[in-house]
Amino acid sequence: MTGAMPRVDLGPDAVRDMGPFRPGPTGPRLFRLHLISRQAPGALAALVGCAVLLRVALHLRWIQGGGASAQQLLLLIECGAAAAVAVATRNPFGESERSTGFRLPLLRLGAALLLTGAAVGALVLGAVGARLPGGAPQVLRDVPGLTAVGLLTAAALGGALAWVGPLTYTVVAEFALLEDWHTPWMWPARPPHDLGAWVCAGLAFAAATAVASVRGDRAA
Amino acid sequence: MNIETIELTRRFGRTRAVDGVDLSTGPGVFGLLGPNGAGKTSLLRMLATVIPPSSGTMLLLDRDPSGHAPRREIRRRLGYLPQNLGYYPGFTVVEFVEYFALLREMPPGRVPGAVAAAVERVGLGDKAKAKLRTLSGGMLRRAGIAQAIVNEPELLLFDEPTAGLDPEQRVEFRSLIRELGQRATVVVSTHLVEDVGAACSQVALMHQGRIAFQGTPDELTARGVGHGVGDAPLERGYSAILAEARA
Repeated sequence: MTGAMPRVDLGPDAVRDMGPFRPGPTGPRLFRLHLISRQAPGALAALVGCAVLLRVALHLRWIQGGGASAQQLLLLIECGAAAAVAVATRNPFGESERSTGFRLPLLRLGAALLLTGAAVGALVLGAVGARLPGGAPQVLRDVPGLTAVGLLTAAALGGALAWVGPLTYTVVAEFALLEDWHTPWMWPARPPHDLGAWVCAGLAFAAATAVASVRGDRAA
Repeated sequence: MNIETIELTRRFGRTRAVDGVDLSTGPGVFGLLGPNGAGKTSLLRMLATVIPPSSGTMLLLDRDPSGHAPRREIRRRLGYLPQNLGYYPGFTVVEFVEYFALLREMPPGRVPGAVAAAVERVGLGDKAKAKLRTLSGGMLRRAGIAQAIVNEPELLLFDEPTAGLDPEQRVEFRSLIRELGQRATVVVSTHLVEDVGAACSQVALMHQGRIAFQGTPDELTARGVGHGVGDAPLERGYSAILAEARA
């Protein structure tokens, strides 16, 4: 440390020596650093893995027809994708980040929306050309709904344990599929055109993204 | 005054971690001493706007942090090094400090120069491009200090800043906070009375959530005259006041 020394006016050379960064638009650079700190690249790799698994399952006819049993493996894959998104809410910086300005809620919101969109997109792409039970609309409803459960779990238990919520919900939903429950809050068990299920999944996602934006994950 | 608290209280369940603290301080280095569990960290977390007080009044940089807009302004002008520094191991030192500069809403044009200056000031210039996962505990602590000072804050809060630093680095850190204290309010929470003696112009000693003593390091030393416990004069003052508070 050089606290005792007079302040050094660090010129462009000193800045250049410290690495490849220059003055530029704050938003994209900050968002990129935020995503990296949340291990978003790892989450994206996990989503690609889910898409490949879905593709393989469809190709090998592990997912076939439109019955409850056909939807069970699909639901597990959707659960995996939602868990990958939810775990990426983990804040590695703790209180030093929480004591900073008001860009943080926007960053959290942007990351949650981007990764949820990537999860839906990956699974829809993974099923292109094959017959998916419920089709793309069901993925578009179920994945954000499951992600909402994960985001709320992150707020309650912390990002590292955010996968617990989607997994628990999925276990109950698998049972609901077999038992043909009618409650719209078990949206994966409802047909893709069920308006109530769409409303419940949408409400859950809106509430969860609001909570995730304002509070983030629970501090360790 | 940069910090002004009246009857500031923070409860966790039935425990009063901070119990009616009155503080008032302007620019300079303010030492916060006390045994484990005295309430130093809880007080610092409230001053950092991380947790709200349960009751009492708090003004930081002449603003009330309970309001949205004042809190935003305070946070832009605040630096905070928590006791447990979190970090993303894949970041380089520069990325780590830059991330906090951007989060504290520094103008983009000033960020590269401010990051370079902060990294140099904590002596990590030669490690600027090193990943955090490769640094020692002392170096990580210095990276944490760099993120706290990058925005040239008017209010700086350090919780156990010298933990993990070797003696030479501690001497340099004291020089740094003396320099920072010339224009900012620097609050240093520590167990080490020698840090307080060397760097602080004002000191408060906390015991069971309350301020048991507030004054200058010389006044703290004077309270220890004739008291036998402790190797150094400041330690004798510290233990004398704690003995009084416990009695």
